[in-house]
Amino acid sequence: MLSHFGAQIVDLGSALLLLTCFAIVAQRRLSACVDLFALQSVFLAATAALVAFLTGIHHIYIAAALTIIIKVLVIPRILKKVIERLNVTRELVMNVNVPTGLLICGGLAMLAFFITQPLIPLGFQLTQGSLGIALAIVLIGFFTMIARKKAVTQVIGFLVMENGLFLGATASAYGMPLIVELGVFFDVLVGMLIVGIYAHRLQDAFDSVDTSQLTTLKE
Amino acid sequence: MSTLLLALLACYVGGSVLPPCLRGHPTLQNLLAHSLACAAGLFGIALGVAGLVASEPLTASVSSTIPYLSFAIRLDPLAAFFVLTISLVGLACAIYALGYVTEFYGRASIGALGSLFNGFLLAMTLVVLADNGFFFLIVWEIMSLLSYFLVVTEHEKAEVRYAGFFYLVMTHVGTAFIILTFLLLFRETGSFSFDVFRHPEAPLPPGLRTVAFVAALIGFGTKAGIVPLHVWLPYAHPAAPSHISALLSGVMIKTAIYALVRVYFDLLGGEFPWWWGFLVLGIGAVSALLGVMYALMEHDLKSLLAYHSVENIGIILLGIGAGMVFQTYGLKEFAALGLLAGLYHTINHALFKALLFLGAGSLLYATHTRDMEEHGGLLRRMPWTGLFFLIGAVSISALPPSNGFVSEWLVFQSLFLSFQLPDLFLKLMLPIAAAMLALTGVLALACFAKAFGISFLALPRSAHARHAEEAPVSMRVGMAFLAVACIVLGVAPMVVVPLLDRVVAPLARVSIEGKVLAMDGWAVAPVNVEFSSLSPPVLAFLLAALSLLGLGLVAAFGGLAKTRFYKTWGCGINLTPRMEYTATGFVQPIKRVFSAIYQPTVKLETELLEESRYFAKRQRFESRIEPVFQKYLYDPVVAFFIAAADRLRIIQAGSLHLYLTYIFVVLVLLLLITI
Repeated sequence: MLSHFGAQIVDLGSALLLLTCFAIVAQRRLSACVDLFALQSVFLAATAALVAFLTGIHHIYIAAALTIIIKVLVIPRILKKVIERLNVTRELVMNVNVPTGLLICGGLAMLAFFITQPLIPLGFQLTQGSLGIALAIVLIGFFTMIARKKAVTQVIGFLVMENGLFLGATASAYGMPLIVELGVFFDVLVGMLIVGIYAHRLQDAFDSVDTSQLTTLKE
Repeated sequence: MSTLLLALLACYVGGSVLPPCLRGHPTLQNLLAHSLACAAGLFGIALGVAGLVASEPLTASVSSTIPYLSFAIRLDPLAAFFVLTISLVGLACAIYALGYVTEFYGRASIGALGSLFNGFLLAMTLVVLADNGFFFLIVWEIMSLLSYFLVVTEHEKAEVRYAGFFYLVMTHVGTAFIILTFLLLFRETGSFSFDVFRHPEAPLPPGLRTVAFVAALIGFGTKAGIVPLHVWLPYAHPAAPSHISALLSGVMIKTAIYALVRVYFDLLGGEFPWWWGFLVLGIGAVSALLGVMYALMEHDLKSLLAYHSVENIGIILLGIGAGMVFQTYGLKEFAALGLLAGLYHTINHALFKALLFLGAGSLLYATHTRDMEEHGGLLRRMPWTGLFFLIGAVSISALPPSNGFVSEWLVFQSLFLSFQLPDLFLKLMLPIAAAMLALTGVLALACFAKAFGISFLALPRSAHARHAEEAPVSMRVGMAFLAVACIVLGVAPMVVVPLLDRVVAPLARVSIEGKVLAMDGWAVAPVNVEFSSLSPPVLAFLLAALSLLGLGLVAAFGGLAKTRFYKTWGCGINLTPRMEYTATGFVQPIKRVFSAIYQPTVKLETELLEESRYFAKRQRFESRIEPVFQKYLYDPVVAFFIAAADRLRIIQAGSLHLYLTYIFVVLVLLLLITI
């Protein structure tokens, strides 16, 4: 009974993650996007902690704690600082407009569930529903990177993808080995720093953080 | 033996690690790097000799955590012979470098140069010692990369960078084929160990053996510089500092010969269809002839020497190819003779080619130019360098009493023995190869008459040559060492043949020492003394005696001849360098005769005086030969790849979003396909 209830709670957490994804796609204001990402990371940490509690696998707690520290506290702060310094608040021009984007994301979510359908019976009882959601989050994160032009939102898309992968790992295998998770966190952090510098260089070179400007680099 | 091996490794490793630690002290770096290389060279010579006379091969192995890779070393006579060759040349080059490298103080990092020098020698030594395919490929690649860095020592020059790039591309194409060879053997045997290749559980299928043969020939042939894969040699070898050129031309291309012998006679068991040997033989004949023909047209001394490497690799392959043909027909003693001749020429070429490159380096050191047309009259200014260069030139032209003469004579004899073959076609073809070799020999002689004559004789052709001074002591010692080695190997085959027989005997499965050495070792014979024989020591003695006799006769009957020093008579006008025979003029007749191959184009522009059309104000003469292989073989390939890349550029629009979309679409499609 408890495990059935637990599975439902885990599903709920995953669903909330997916919901924040849609919110990010719909949001034009950059600082709000960062907040939504932080919120998503909170949901992720909560879901992971729940899985850890229900399965008794302790190292997932550590991953959850790291999620809180890095993805809820550190990264949003860096991103906010970048936004402040670059003085960009809104994204006005996008490659795909918001309504169309939302529709495509809906399609992607369906695609994700369709693809994971044959895999679901093979997974653990507790996290069966989460795998499809995880893939949907990865695809939507990727789509965000394509749809948006500003470097900052592209980073958010990348981080959303990473969240999706983390959820997928927790869902399908009750988390990766701790060393791998530590490595991934480190990668994300370093990636963030690089992108922060990259956005500055863009700003210096083109007076904009619009990555479409990079086409001028081609010979 | 294992102590010697460890000492050798320690010296090379020390020589490659320590010099960069002494930043800012080029003299110390130079001394440290090259004295360690000298020590390693001495250990290597001892190790090579010990390995040649040892009854059992020395083996050592360090296993690794990487699957199929073990750092296995095996010092059998074949490996020992090449260790000896590498160490002899390495030692001479290290001594030479002590003086030569001073030229680069302030222009290049001496620490890096010395460290790469040691690392390169170490890699080559490990290539011939490796007993595991995986390990072999690793050290082979290290050898190629280190030699690339050595080639681009003077990377501030555009032509050096081009040469380096060309070399890098060619060597990697070659390596791809070598990897293919070993992967095929691996797929069949399930192991990378040479021992498993030698004794596979089930005999290898003939198709696979054929592909492995061709891949090895292309792969190692690229490194060796066989025609038509030789094009990188005349670029890369001259671009490097001269003591490095000596190593590249003298030794590195020999590692490819080592690998070919190792793969064909050892790993593939020495059993092959007749056309394998015939192909090797044919490539050898063509390489020898074309190599020397292009060498003749070169006026850059080092490019000329590089082309001669193509020629000599051809001669070596003629010997090895003849050995392979005989092996097919079970004529084991003749097979051993061909192989012995090829390997004899291998060590000889290593010695005299290194000597010639070091000589060219001395000229470069003294005159700062490699263009022969700006040399001239150097014999008077650099007598020692001249003497050593002459010894090298005599050796490479295969004149007695030099080492080149003995080994080329043996190659000739093994080709003449083809009348014993049962196959009529081969009976006809091998003498044709011998005829091509004869033509090669003549042209080589002409080429070195030109190289020595234009550079060393007559009047200096430029201010550079007028102010040339003799090379420093260490450079002369390095050259003297090789010059003495050339003469010793030429007059004392009774020392060399027994050692070579120990290399050849396990491969051809027959010992021919007693049959090649006739008259208690005073003469060599191609297995059969009745057929022909030659006594190098007696020949050398006769040459010396006849020269002395001539001098004696002059002294005795010359009578009233008085020595009077005066200017050369020039028909009443003063002699100037412009009256001298130029290198271009010297080879003009040959260029005419072989115009079908050279496809020469001559451009003559004359600017006439306005007042009279009988007086020219200025004339411009330009003559060049067509680089046939580059034009018809390489340029089309390069053009194809560039055109294909141009087409593919459409998808590279430079937009980040577009790239992301590519990845996304592929991801989604793959996900859809998998379900």
